[in-house]
Amino acid sequence: MENAPRIQKEHRMTMTGAHVIGSPVPRVEGPLKVRGEARYSADITLPGMLWAKFLRSPYPHARVLSVDVSRARALRGVKAVLTGADIPPRLYGRRLRDMPFLARDRVRFIGERVAAVAAEDPDVAEEALGLIEVEHEELPAVFDPEAAMQPGAPILHEALATYEGLPAPPPDIPNVHSLARWSMGDLAQGFREAHRVFEHSFRTPFVHQGYLEPHAGVVEVDGSGRLQVWATNKTPFVLRKHLSESLDLPEEMITVQPIYLGADFGGKGSVMDLPLCYYLVQRTGRPVKAVMSYVEELTAANPRHASVITLRTGVTRDGRFCARHARAIFNSGAYGAMKPTPFVNLGGAAAGGGVYRIPHLQIDAYSVYTNGVPCGHMRAPGEPQMIFAVESQTDMIAAELGVDPLEFRLRNGLAEGDPLVTGHRLTHVRLRQTLEAAGRAIGWGTPKPGPCIGRGLAAGERHVGIGQGSAEVALELNGLVRVLTGVPDTGTGAPTVLRQIVAEVLALPLGQVEVAMGSTDQLPPDSGAGGSRVTHVVGRAAWQAATTMRRRVLERAAQELTLPAEKLDLRDGWIVADGTRRLSLDEVTKRHGPLQVVETYVADHYAALTSFSVQAAEVEVDPESGQVHLRRLVTAHDVGRVLNPQTHQGQIEGGAIQGLGYALMENLVIEEGRVAASHLGEYKLPTIKDIPPLETVLLEEPGGPVPFEGKAIGEHSISTVAPAVANAVFDAVGVRITDLPITAEKIHQALRARPAPTR
Amino acid sequence: MTSSVTASPAAAIRRIRIQVNGQEHECEVRPNRLLVDFLRYDLGLTGTKEGCGVGVCGLCTVLLDGQMVASCLTLAVFADGGEVTTIEGLAVGAELHPVQDCFIEYGGFQCGICTPGQIMAAKALLDDNPTPTEEEIKEWMMGNLCRCTGYYKIVESVQRAAGRLRGAGAGDGATARQGPAGARAGRLAAR
Repeated sequence: MENAPRIQKEHRMTMTGAHVIGSPVPRVEGPLKVRGEARYSADITLPGMLWAKFLRSPYPHARVLSVDVSRARALRGVKAVLTGADIPPRLYGRRLRDMPFLARDRVRFIGERVAAVAAEDPDVAEEALGLIEVEHEELPAVFDPEAAMQPGAPILHEALATYEGLPAPPPDIPNVHSLARWSMGDLAQGFREAHRVFEHSFRTPFVHQGYLEPHAGVVEVDGSGRLQVWATNKTPFVLRKHLSESLDLPEEMITVQPIYLGADFGGKGSVMDLPLCYYLVQRTGRPVKAVMSYVEELTAANPRHASVITLRTGVTRDGRFCARHARAIFNSGAYGAMKPTPFVNLGGAAAGGGVYRIPHLQIDAYSVYTNGVPCGHMRAPGEPQMIFAVESQTDMIAAELGVDPLEFRLRNGLAEGDPLVTGHRLTHVRLRQTLEAAGRAIGWGTPKPGPCIGRGLAAGERHVGIGQGSAEVALELNGLVRVLTGVPDTGTGAPTVLRQIVAEVLALPLGQVEVAMGSTDQLPPDSGAGGSRVTHVVGRAAWQAATTMRRRVLERAAQELTLPAEKLDLRDGWIVADGTRRLSLDEVTKRHGPLQVVETYVADHYAALTSFSVQAAEVEVDPESGQVHLRRLVTAHDVGRVLNPQTHQGQIEGGAIQGLGYALMENLVIEEGRVAASHLGEYKLPTIKDIPPLETVLLEEPGGPVPFEGKAIGEHSISTVAPAVANAVFDAVGVRITDLPITAEKIHQALRARPAPTR
Repeated sequence: MTSSVTASPAAAIRRIRIQVNGQEHECEVRPNRLLVDFLRYDLGLTGTKEGCGVGVCGLCTVLLDGQMVASCLTLAVFADGGEVTTIEGLAVGAELHPVQDCFIEYGGFQCGICTPGQIMAAKALLDDNPTPTEEEIKEWMMGNLCRCTGYYKIVESVQRAAGRLRGAGAGDGATARQGPAGARAGRLAAR
């Protein structure tokens, strides 16, 4: 296969005695998914269920003078119509509570919900929307975040200071709801030390997460008065908490049911339409289902923030970074509600120093309101934006200094014990090895196979995620072990890896370990899927539970066999002593009853180690059209032990191709507040024909906090593709593209604007 | 207040006969009923998914008289008298179709939402062309988006399935068959 992804491993780790850790175990839920039997939220149908639809604002900024729903209410089949006046005036936010569920007197983006309908049939609900009459008075709108920060700009949230969840009083700049600042050293001193100072600005577009399952939810109040919820949400316990707070219901009265997610990539962490479904349930006494269309997804969900990033970087006479001021302006759209971070900003902005030693560094990230779709999290939130800027500028400075970009990175790269701006002093630093491995794989420094072909690379680092995980491990009467997890399957392979961890600890054949997703009633709270967290924190919880289980089983067997527990071991479902099988697991449970262990694991601070990723691209640019052909992509990662090579590689490949989309095509164009690319025919995601030959390099080394010394991989291959491609385009034809995506039009224009390169 | 409006005049209801996964159905549908909604909500066959709603993502791919169609763009009445195969009709009892087997073994999916469509598209391809080249696979599967895998493992899964269907891959091997859905068969452990 021409495109067969080559995977090359260096320092391959071996684990003595491992029987399933490190094996490419196929997905435990595979049979359900290939048969179409895995259930997703939109697949849920309940008896008597109604369908909800939402009327959305056609204006980017307007006063709502009146909403007349009388005709809609009269339509046959319509069971309820709600406006902002019909529900409690509560504001929602994952942190900053600034967003109403239904607009009351004001709309702030095209797509904001103004009325909700529940009807017997989705077509009837849709028809009812057309019968609702809304009187608006348009207000001046602002779309550009820099314009929104100017004095005199239209203010979106006059009452910002009164909102719950506001992290700190933001600076007195119009429409700024958060300024996140990271710094070390003394910026003024750093720039005094600089021999040369470079300043460049970069722009990145809005992009949608591109999960193919639109948001969906079903809400019911069951016979005991409990709220039952099936929803496209990756954090069920947080969802329960937010529903409880939003709806004034005790958490004990809410159950979030386990359900498969048609992927997430950061976009499925909010309550979305569920509170409105609940209010419709209250009105009608019937279950209510809402499924967003993909048009609604693209125009009114929570895409990745667009950004304007300016980097001012000082370099010493010997070509070393001495100072940087990074300023990121994130276009948040009309609300900050979709950001979960305590500082209501994007943590990835902290990557402003890149993978370099910059003694004097300050990063300022502004999150700014504009009259657009509210933005949220997407895979490595903030990082693809910031790393595009940082790694483009690294090459731009190297070119100015006449230094080879790889050599320049090696010269300035982080080393053992260096601090990050977030305060961590790094251990296990393998940046040099990762850079060199990627360089070798792409053929850095070797002749290029033709004209207009260029190579570029980019580097990043990312932590192992933190949070809280919970797991139950139960030994059933029949000797089977069941693992229950509260983290939903978003597709990453988490259930499969949890199964491997438990099977490994208990030395059981995989076939004797089942995994199930539990509801929020069944387990202690779990932070949910995201943040490169799951294999770490949920994996740890499962590992602890299995370890406790192992001890208990051996204690019981010791009684049975009148042998000391230390003499006993588990192997293939048997208790063994002196190498011989003495008791099977089901014999233990039959005499002593089933066993159940629930464990919670909390990681509240990042480990001192990180993972470096370097991606390298080889492109060919058509000098006439400007078209970029990605000839090859190298993805090199400094990883811990790989628990499951198949799912691990799946994360790398999927992330890299999302990175490719960000580099070359994805662009949620918003014109005057209106999403122009409003369906998947217009909004281009990479297809199977867009993928380049891919070579993966894994530098495995123990030391990670994940069970069996793994590290994280979920968000590690997405951020460095775009800058690697931009750098390769520059290498190919001398054109520097500083705004994503890197389209043929931009390159064509740049080529026409200046004399042809002489290479 | 206006008089009540009827969304679906009873007069417009059409009676259709349609065979789905070998089973005959006679149903009354509105003329604007989409095949995807007919399958999912009238027949309860939710294995067929809906994504974009405009025929470009491939989630709703089913076979109509052996041809691959986007069921979100196809009216149910258009399938009148026809034979539809959905993902639920692929396995024979506990026996998965080789395409299904290969998607599991070679990691051709992650979240699974595009998987029924991918598998139906791959089946249609291999029915039509048992020995596709890599380029032919990509050309055929271009209308089936996947956001999780980056497609590499989908290409590999389809190639492996082609080999298995040709019976050529002795080394590729017939595998231990799965038990009922959800059962953890020995194959998982064997790997």
